[in-house]
Amino acid sequence: MRPIFGPNTRQVLTFLTDLWLLSPEEINRVTRAWREASDVERAESWAQLHRAASWRERKSYLAAASVARKQAMDVASMLKRTDWAFWAAAWDAAAAIAASERLGRDYDVLVSPLATVLPSLSRGGNRLQVPAQRTDRQAAAKREAAGRGKETATSAKQAAHRGGRAGMEAR
Amino acid sequence: MSSRFTQLFEHSPDAMVIVDRTGHINDANKRAEALFGYGRDQMRGESISTLFPGQTVPLPNGSEPGERVGSHVDLVGSSTDLRQFPADVNIIPIQTQRGTAEVLSVRDITEEQRAQFVLELGLDVFESADHNLQSLLDHFIRAQEEERNRIAAGIHDDTIQILAAANLRLQQLRNRLDDPEERDILDKLAKTLHMALSRLRQLIFDLRPTSPEHGGLERALRAVLEQMQSDVDVRYQLDDRCTGSVPASISALIFRIAQEALINVRKHAKAKTVQLEFQEVCGGCLARIVDDGVGYSPADVEERPGHIGLSLMRERAVIAGGWCRIESMPGAGAMVEFWVPYNGLPTQPEAGSERAA
Repeated sequence: MRPIFGPNTRQVLTFLTDLWLLSPEEINRVTRAWREASDVERAESWAQLHRAASWRERKSYLAAASVARKQAMDVASMLKRTDWAFWAAAWDAAAAIAASERLGRDYDVLVSPLATVLPSLSRGGNRLQVPAQRTDRQAAAKREAAGRGKETATSAKQAAHRGGRAGMEAR
Repeated sequence: MSSRFTQLFEHSPDAMVIVDRTGHINDANKRAEALFGYGRDQMRGESISTLFPGQTVPLPNGSEPGERVGSHVDLVGSSTDLRQFPADVNIIPIQTQRGTAEVLSVRDITEEQRAQFVLELGLDVFESADHNLQSLLDHFIRAQEEERNRIAAGIHDDTIQILAAANLRLQQLRNRLDDPEERDILDKLAKTLHMALSRLRQLIFDLRPTSPEHGGLERALRAVLEQMQSDVDVRYQLDDRCTGSVPASISALIFRIAQEALINVRKHAKAKTVQLEFQEVCGGCLARIVDDGVGYSPADVEERPGHIGLSLMRERAVIAGGWCRIESMPGAGAMVEFWVPYNGLPTQPEAGSERAA
């Protein structure tokens, strides 16, 4: 795999695909968590991320962040969520995942809003398994909960995505 | 072979070949005939190396099929017309009436590899275009600042000096005149000269707003905010807690990003108030500019051409080794947040890093 986002490209791509699995309620939780977190602490973590990296590394981290932001905007738009705090959280988390070896506690600061719904993002979690490893029953329950008020197209897209993920895992 | 297996074998979308433990072909399906160009009768009894010449097909020996799982290998297949193709080969152990054997499921992945190559090529082109764009923006911003400084220095060191000298000579001439009418004409001329000098000094301020002669960043921003309040009635709160000595170049960069944000507030936001906060974070300046205007949809605005201001704000911060996020939503104002380090971080690839990466 071409490491377009640096050595953690695979983890970043997994995170990008995981964004499509979030329900409206989970997006709301991420949004709340991002807004409740400290701006200054977040900025300090970003500063640390920049200081710890070379020019080329920073470029790949920012590329990961930009792609995640755009992806999160698309997800939010499909689920009729408009609070930019969600894609700001995705921006933070993607950069932190891309730079995870370079960050200590700052990694947790940057991923924490999304870690409220993707616990695997926290240090110690298995980043590659959740939520891809949700059981079918959990997934069905989530779909049912998320389905209320959600457009059919969204469900179809997410279902197709889940199918794709299942296929990938089977391989 | 059971009829179910035979059907599966015969109608498989992949080429399938059954090989005994000595590496000789026992059977092949229709897809294998089509892929390799041999009839199945031609293939029977031949070595598997006929289909994959010069390569070793890793056939297991010793253990029973039930004890093993399948394996996978990438090989280069060869057909009767001497065409060679990349092949994805799965080797599956089976038990037949004549003993253990291996089923080789072969897939021609020429198209997949070509698609991957095209994708990689596209990525190269995209990265190159992105790099060129970044370089162009970088160059544009630096050239813009250099040109502003050059023009400001030229006005200060040349034009203003000449006008000041002309004003002095005008005063000397005035003192020699006795006729009140002539003095009145010279007074009007002197007033015009003063106006020209004043406008040139304003122009220098616009070009070099944060220079020490103008009182630094806060004063420069306050001047812009006062003007905006007077022109479009947007109230402001300015909280500058950057107490350390900010290098002039960083000060200018902070001002330019803030100025661009304020231009957007003035032109598009229809805001009542704008808040500016500057504070020191990790050896740099963290700035937040928040308005309570109409906001916008980033998805709509960022995809439309002609919004170079947003890109320039981000790029200015990145050039200085920092970052910038610009967020908004309809009906909820907009926020520009950026951080730039005081000492600057490497903004170009380190020597040799291009090759090392």
